Amino acid sequence: MECKPRWLLIAIAVATLFASLALTACGSDDEEAEDSAEAPDVAVEEFPADTTMGAIQEAGEMNIGVKFDVPPFGFNNPQSGEVEGFDVDLGRYIAARLGVEPVFREANSDNRIPLLVDGTIDLILSTMTITEERDLEIDFSEPYYVANGDVLVPSGSDIQALDDLNGNRVCTALGSTYQETIKEEAPDADLRLVDLYSQCLELIQTDAVDAVSTDNVILTGMVIQDETLELLGLNYTEEPYGAGIPDGDTEFKEFVDESVQQYIDDGTWEASYEEWVGQYIPEDQQQGPPDITLEEALKLFPL
Amino acid sequence: MGELWGVLEEHLPEFASGLWVTFRLVAASFLIAMVVGTAVAALRVAPARWLNRIGGVYVETFRNVPLLVLLIIMFAGIRRGGIAIDPWVAGIASLGLYTAAYIAEALRSGVFAVGKGQIDAALSLGLTYGRTMRRIVLPQAVRTVIPALSSLVIAMIKNSAIVGASLVALPDLLKSARQVQADTFQTTEVFFWAAIGYLLLTVTATLVFRHLENTYTIKR
Repeated sequence: MECKPRWLLIAIAVATLFASLALTACGSDDEEAEDSAEAPDVAVEEFPADTTMGAIQEAGEMNIGVKFDVPPFGFNNPQSGEVEGFDVDLGRYIAARLGVEPVFREANSDNRIPLLVDGTIDLILSTMTITEERDLEIDFSEPYYVANGDVLVPSGSDIQALDDLNGNRVCTALGSTYQETIKEEAPDADLRLVDLYSQCLELIQTDAVDAVSTDNVILTGMVIQDETLELLGLNYTEEPYGAGIPDGDTEFKEFVDESVQQYIDDGTWEASYEEWVGQYIPEDQQQGPPDITLEEALKLFPL
Repeated sequence: MGELWGVLEEHLPEFASGLWVTFRLVAASFLIAMVVGTAVAALRVAPARWLNRIGGVYVETFRNVPLLVLLIIMFAGIRRGGIAIDPWVAGIASLGLYTAAYIAEALRSGVFAVGKGQIDAALSLGLTYGRTMRRIVLPQAVRTVIPALSSLVIAMIKNSAIVGASLVALPDLLKSARQVQADTFQTTEVFFWAAIGYLLLTVTATLVFRHLENTYTIKR
C-alpha cells in the first residue's frame, strides 16, 4: 500500500495547485467584500467551540450573504467600494457581537439558500421574505423588517392598479415570492424573470417591461436612482424579512434572534432605518421595528 | 426515484414550454447562422481582397466577443439607442450571428479543401465566380464540413441556455427549470430533467447530421 502509484501524488499536487489558484482568484473577485467600516460598539460574548458561534469565532470571520445590487438594503457602492445598506448594518452588528470580521458575499434571490445550505455563507441577510416553503430548507430568525409588495412603473403609465398588470410585461426576480404572487394576482401578466433586481431596472428603463413588482423598499431604491419612475403605493402584500439560518441550528437561531432583539432595543435599528429608508420617504409612510412574530410571518406565505 | 418522476409529472407543462422555446430559439438561430455563415464564408474566399477583409472583420468581431456581451449589446444596448428590439429578435440574432462566425470558418476550411484546380477549371470554362462557388465548390465544401457543422450546432444548442439566463430573459428550458427549482427546491431532480431536455435536442441534431454525413460524404 505504501507504494501507491505515483500518478495519484501528481494528481493531488495538480489539484492542490488549482485549488490554491482558485482560492487566490476568489480572494480578489467582486463577489466578496472585506469590510473596513468600523465595528459597532457592542459587548462580545465568547461561545464554546462546538457551537456555530464558536466555530465562527475560531475562523475569525463571518460570511454573510447580502444583495449587492439592491439599494438601500445591500449594494456594492462603486464610490466607496464597500457593501452598504440596511441588511449590511445588521450583519455588521451580529458579527460584532461575536467579535469577528464580517465578510459580505453576494447572495441573490436565486442562489442564497443553496449558498447557506452548502456552508459558503453562515447567514443570509438578503431582503428575504419568511415563507413556509423556504422554512423547509432553512430556519428563519424573528422578523427584522416588514416590507410591502408594490408596483413600479414609468411616470404617467396606464398601469395604476394590480389588475392592470394583466396583459403587460412585468419584471421580478427569479426565486422571489413575487414569482408566485404575481401569477395569482394577475394571471395574464407576461412575467419576465431575471436574476437580479438591477436587471429589472435596466429593463424598465429601456421600456422592455411595463412594470416591476417586488418589495417597496427595493423599488424605492430604484426610484432614488431614476426619478422618471414612480411607485404606485399599492402595498398588496406584507413581506416580513428574516435572517436565514442553517436548518436545525437552534443555538445559532437563538443567538441571531437575541441579536435582532438587541439591535431593535438599543436603537441601532432606528438609526439604520433612518439612514437607508426613512430619509427618502414621507414621514407618514415611515415605520418602526416589526411587531410581527416569526410564527405569524410564516402564516402569510403558507405552503 | 419516485421524486424524480413526481417532479416531471407535476411540472411537465413548464418543462414542455421551456423546451419549445429553446427549440424555436435554436431553430431560428440555426437558419440565420447557416445563411449568414455561408455568405461570410463566400466573402472570405472571394477573389477580391477587400471582400476577404469584410468577411474577416465579421468573423473576428463575432467570434471574439463573448456571447453574453453580444446579448447585452444586442438587447439593452440597442434599446438604449432608442430602437425597441424584441427579446426574441435580440436572442435569435445574437445566437445566430455568433454561430455564423464559426460556421463561416468551418465552411472556409471546406472551401480550401476543394482543389484550386477545380476552380481554375470552372472559371476557364466560362462560369462566373458566383456560379463556380454555388455549383462546384460549396457542394463539396459542405460535404467535408458536415462533421464540423454538427459540433457547432450542438454547441449552439447548449449556448442557447445563455440567452435565457441573460437580460433577454426568454423563458427557455433552463429558465423554466430554474423557476420550477425555485418553487420546489428539488435541485437535483429539476436539473436532471433539464439536462434530459437538452439531450433530446442535441441527440436529435447529432442523428440528423450523422444521416446527412452518411448520405453526402464522399466515400473513401
